[in-house]
Amino acid sequence: MNQPNYRIEVTGLTKRFGPVTAVDSLSFSVEPGVITGFLGPNGAGKTTTMRMILGLVTPTAGTATIGGKRYGELRRPSEIVGAVLDASAFHPNHSARDHLRIYRTMGGHPAGRVEELLDRLGLAHAAHRKTRTFSTGMKQRLSLATALLGDPQVLLLDEPSNGLDPEGIAWLRRFLRELADEGRTVLVSSHVLSEVQQIVDDIVMIRRGTLVAAGPLREMERFRPSTVLVRSPDAEALKKVLLRGTSDGVAAQSVETGHDGALRVQGLATAQIADLASAARLRVHELLTEDTSLEQLFFELTADSEGDAR
Amino acid sequence: MNALIKAEFRRLLATRMWLWALLTAVVLGGGMVGLLTAVGPENFSPPMPGLETEEGVLSVFGMLGFTVFVPAALGTLAMTSEYRHRTATFTFLFAPQRWQVLTAKLVTFGVAGLVYGLVQTAGAGAGFFGALAARGVTPGLATGTVIELLLRLALTMAVYTLLGVAMGALIRNQIVALAVVIGYLYMGELILMMIPGVNLLYPLLPGGATASLTSFTYLADVLADELSTSPVSLLSPVGGGLLLAGYALVAAAVAVLVPMRRDVV
Repeated sequence: MNQPNYRIEVTGLTKRFGPVTAVDSLSFSVEPGVITGFLGPNGAGKTTTMRMILGLVTPTAGTATIGGKRYGELRRPSEIVGAVLDASAFHPNHSARDHLRIYRTMGGHPAGRVEELLDRLGLAHAAHRKTRTFSTGMKQRLSLATALLGDPQVLLLDEPSNGLDPEGIAWLRRFLRELADEGRTVLVSSHVLSEVQQIVDDIVMIRRGTLVAAGPLREMERFRPSTVLVRSPDAEALKKVLLRGTSDGVAAQSVETGHDGALRVQGLATAQIADLASAARLRVHELLTEDTSLEQLFFELTADSEGDAR
Repeated sequence: MNALIKAEFRRLLATRMWLWALLTAVVLGGGMVGLLTAVGPENFSPPMPGLETEEGVLSVFGMLGFTVFVPAALGTLAMTSEYRHRTATFTFLFAPQRWQVLTAKLVTFGVAGLVYGLVQTAGAGAGFFGALAARGVTPGLATGTVIELLLRLALTMAVYTLLGVAMGALIRNQIVALAVVIGYLYMGELILMMIPGVNLLYPLLPGGATASLTSFTYLADVLADELSTSPVSLLSPVGGGLLLAGYALVAAAVAVLVPMRRDVV
């Protein structure tokens, strides 16, 4: 089967709630086959943007399309797009099975789908229980099951890790990776970078309803000055060598000596440091790229944005 | 559209509400009419014509007209629970054409309201004829006419269910919607009737339309008496039924045009 390309395309999307501009001329795209992290602090406009993509909120200006069509123009939308938005959107007196059967029927999906998803999401044992007795994690999984009823090609999840325990988060990561590997488009929003850092391939970062950065996560990482931690018994000599650099002018921008005697090197990659040390016949006992500054980048890029509308 | 209607029936049958509704129908229908028949309108306070007269029979069944708030409230509850429990998010994701959602609900609850009405009037018929037989009174209305009246009452219940659904879609907030629907049916119209001039509109108000559908004009006559106006002439039963259905349709249309288009946040 020749599958259409279900990329999400957001163009000039704007939403004003009275005097508050929640989303301001936002443009980005989300590609199939990868997991895209939709990042920004609370109130940056992530939820509003996702709800506009899904036709639940009408944009003040601009468009959002999925596979070239607006959500409202999709025929049988639940077979194309699945979404998890609210932590709990169930009738409290419906059982999980009742809930899924209602929406299974509404979407016209195969009858076996309900039991299949209850199994797949580990809800089979609780299928008969009323949703008001569910824990947050179970509600999240029931929401996800609802979203997956139509076996959609596109999945949007708004803060899906909320209320999940570490085990649940690990499970969700594996699950989303499987879906992306099958060629589906996956957009996951979060206000905590570290939560999605390990699973996302691309990121779209917004602040105050405007785009801050978008693209593959690896390229984002290239922007930041990476720090390499070097332990060496010859630290002082190595520091001079690294600052002097190679004959063709590649040198460390800065080398600091930490209180533990380790060097913190900026501007050189691990391979370059190792080569320089080897050429100068200096010993290296540890060579480590510090992986913390993406969080730093996130804070810097999204700084000063508290207290905006959602 | 068929899938949406099927899904709404599933939703309706997923909780026990339908069971309680039918139980209420039996109690209000059989119980109330049976009791009123057993007591006899001539013993009411103030006394009304007895069961051997046409008015007497009509007054007993007319009481059922005061229970329309039950199916109306059920319809309102069903519609507003989508917003209260936030299931509207999933529903509008699965069915982005929101007018179709409301249409499916109107169809489903039209049928449900009719079932409610038939159960209630079947109970009422049983209670009426049972109590009459026990008292040995011959009713002032032919059996065929009574059955026709009961069917009209069943239809009234169905139309009020639709009105309830439409008002729920219009108001969205469950508590407010229920207060408006029940409040209007209980007091709103009576208060309106006290405003000089407005009472002339009575045939065109929901209460007046209901009266023409149930042929129970006692209230209208008393009001005309007390306000010393000429008795108002009601619409025909068919006219009253169509007018009520028209109110439901207008409310539904306004709901689709305004509140249902609002953002679901």
